[in-house]
Amino acid sequence: MTRAASLAALCALAFASLAAPGAHAGPDAQLSNRLFDDANGAFLGGDLPRATAAYQALLEEGIASAELETNLATALVRSNKRGAAALHYERALFLEPGDDDARADLTELRRGNVDRLEGEAEESGVDALYRLVAFVPGRVAALGLVVCWLLACALFMLRALSPGAAGRLRTANWAALIAALVFGAMTAAAAAAHRVALQRAVVTAESAPAREGPQSHANIGFELHEGTLVRIEDEQNGFARVRLQNGLIGWAPLSALERVVPPRWN
Amino acid sequence: MSAVDGERTIPKVYGRAGVRSRAAALGAAWLALLAAGPSRADGGAEFTASVDRNEIGLDETVRLDLTLTVSSKNDSGDLQLPSFREFDVVGRSTSEQVSFAISSGAPTFKRTTVTSLTLQPHRAGTLTIEPAHVNYRGGSLSAQPITVRVLPAGQAPPPRRQAQQPPPDPFDALDPFAGHGLDPFAGVHGNSARDYTLKAAVDNDHPFVGQQVTYSLWLLARGSVSSIDKLELPKMDGFWTEEVEAPQQLVGEARVIDGVPMQVYLLRKRALFPLRAGNTTVEPAEVEVISGMGMLFQRSSSKRSSAAIPLEVQPLPAGAPAGFDPGNVGQWSLTASADPLSVADGQPVTFHLVASGRGNLRDLQLPKLPAIPGLRAYDATSTDKTNLEQGRAGGVRTLEQLLVPERTGDLEIPALVMDVFDPAAKEYRTLRTQPIHLAVKPGTGALGGSQQQAQNLLTASGQRPIRLKMTRASVGTPLWDASWFWPALLVPPGLVALLLGARRASQALSSDPGEQRVKLAASAARRRLRGAEKLLEKQKSDGSAGIEFYAEVSRALSDYLADKQGISAAGLTREELRRALAERGHSQVTIDKLTSLFDACDQARFSPGAESAAAQEAVLQRADAVLAALDGARETA
Repeated sequence: MTRAASLAALCALAFASLAAPGAHAGPDAQLSNRLFDDANGAFLGGDLPRATAAYQALLEEGIASAELETNLATALVRSNKRGAAALHYERALFLEPGDDDARADLTELRRGNVDRLEGEAEESGVDALYRLVAFVPGRVAALGLVVCWLLACALFMLRALSPGAAGRLRTANWAALIAALVFGAMTAAAAAAHRVALQRAVVTAESAPAREGPQSHANIGFELHEGTLVRIEDEQNGFARVRLQNGLIGWAPLSALERVVPPRWN
Repeated sequence: MSAVDGERTIPKVYGRAGVRSRAAALGAAWLALLAAGPSRADGGAEFTASVDRNEIGLDETVRLDLTLTVSSKNDSGDLQLPSFREFDVVGRSTSEQVSFAISSGAPTFKRTTVTSLTLQPHRAGTLTIEPAHVNYRGGSLSAQPITVRVLPAGQAPPPRRQAQQPPPDPFDALDPFAGHGLDPFAGVHGNSARDYTLKAAVDNDHPFVGQQVTYSLWLLARGSVSSIDKLELPKMDGFWTEEVEAPQQLVGEARVIDGVPMQVYLLRKRALFPLRAGNTTVEPAEVEVISGMGMLFQRSSSKRSSAAIPLEVQPLPAGAPAGFDPGNVGQWSLTASADPLSVADGQPVTFHLVASGRGNLRDLQLPKLPAIPGLRAYDATSTDKTNLEQGRAGGVRTLEQLLVPERTGDLEIPALVMDVFDPAAKEYRTLRTQPIHLAVKPGTGALGGSQQQAQNLLTASGQRPIRLKMTRASVGTPLWDASWFWPALLVPPGLVALLLGARRASQALSSDPGEQRVKLAASAARRRLRGAEKLLEKQKSDGSAGIEFYAEVSRALSDYLADKQGISAAGLTREELRRALAERGHSQVTIDKLTSLFDACDQARFSPGAESAAAQEAVLQRADAVLAALDGARETA
């Protein structure tokens, strides 16, 4: 095996170990899986309060799972808690943007909203960008960037140090550099999407006034209803400056909102 | 000679209490002889007065029986009642019996008339019932005065039980207590609490633990009742209670109690399930009774309390089966079912265990399904549906459990057993379900067990089914925010640059200066030509002389020859220069161009004239061309 091949294999191994989600097969994982099964049993048996409590207990244990978020959201929908259900569907999609079930359920949930957002189709540029790049696997892209960049630098150095091997390494060097650039672009997109995701929040209160300023006595511009997705642009005095998908802006009480990405995930 | 019954007049009665009072009245007539001697008159008339009790409570009544016996078929005498200053007359009834016998060949008639008066005392203390009088055939008979001791309300001794069983009551069919042993109005004496009486009663005062006791609260009213207020029921400590009846409106039922016509209102009926054995008491209830109608009549309210009810709760009899749960008391049945009975591996089966019957549903403990190899059981959910049938509490408890087969083949859900105590039969019974057989077929692509895929079977609405398998996602600080990320990107190129720079510096330090000069000669010459070009530009702008321009062009070419070709042009004649260049392989054309260029530069430097800018630019181009030719020839060589 050549030196370059050995280096590439080593990099691939490191990449795979870093990019793969953590494997959880210990006793805690078994206990969590059993609790998850019991919660599913309660759900299927119609005991929604118990199923909801069990799913939430798993979340409080720090488990992040798109399936867990989706099941909890479905139980909340059945309990007619639409705001909280929308929040957990959004979280499921944050964890797994390609989750068709969660997306379909969220669409179904929003279809059932009595109060529709006017001009919802007028998606802002930031939201459109988020929708496009949310699928970019940021972790993989960032690791790919680091690995390919290191490889390109190493190959360049080898070429410089060994003029005799420069011709053979030139193609590999250019390939590594191009791959690093591609991964770099993907990482930049993922970072942008992540910044947008950190701003996203869902209205969990049944309704909340959106005021013209961050004061409780400010004029009410419009009213937010549970389940509405907003983007938090600023925070002051317990109020959040929120932008709706149709471009409306107002100050809503922070207590009526819950961020899609909870602090423990960041 | 036997007596022959003649005609008989029986007063109209309204209920069981009324019948009993009539029988008691006839018996009490003889008791009166013990209280006082009869008053006799000529003509065979006899007049006596008697009471059923000599000691009563203020909230009770006393019955006064006035018995007149005459030897006449038609003349019944004229009864004169006293004024009853210490009592209210709240009830009156009359019975009459006529009989005759043949004595000495002549018929002899005997008429007995009993007038019963129900008297309500005005106050506590020793009260006297004034004597009544009868005018009969011109004479007057007087009964003796009777003294009655009236105690404060609630302190009177219990009344004497009637030894004689009353005849069947036509109202029993309407009476919820009929057939249950206890009379709810036992102990009620006419209008025992003046106009209103609150009566609490139970249908069984010695129940088993867990057996239903029906508690009823009645309002007995002699006057009109407009409404009730502030009904306070007892706390029922030590009982599990279920509401049986809670009328929202007062609906009265006319009844005659102890000879007094009354309206009876059911206020509340509850099922009580004793939780502990032993003597216990149902505390009194209270209610405020409002009488009077609207604004035309004066409204008044009065507060009434019921009496406490003692209960003797019996423990369950010995001989309970092993594992018997004390909450399983009643008449219950148990059934089990599963749906579907034929499934694919991994498909859910719903198991139902249903207990139905009478008893305390909430205390009922259903048996649990044991672990069944090959069947994965999820937590069971329980739903209750209570019902009331003829005042008896009961219902249906359904246990629903999801079972998922984990292997193919025949699986059996075993029979379940539940022991119950039937208080009516006073015996323990064992209820048993039938075993259920499931046929499990191979699934289509399902993995079975915990790895099965979500199914649509148990979903509703437009939502997708829930997921049965959980995978953990990786969350945390993004890699680009990690402390090592940017150094990992920036350090490698820095290292490469550092390494290459160091290498170049090392090479530079270790190389020959002469050789370096040769390498750099062409670029140095070009730099000088560019400098000459700048001088030309300056000359154009400020009109200065072109001496420096030509000197710079000449120097560029001289230095190049010195560094690259090793020829010092300044110290050579033109012929020596030509020869040296020829020796180095340069063409004659290049040599001619170079020498002519040197000549042009010398001429312009040492005999300056009016050289045009165009001529200078031409010199510059010629110098570039010569330099290229020299350097190319050198490389080729």
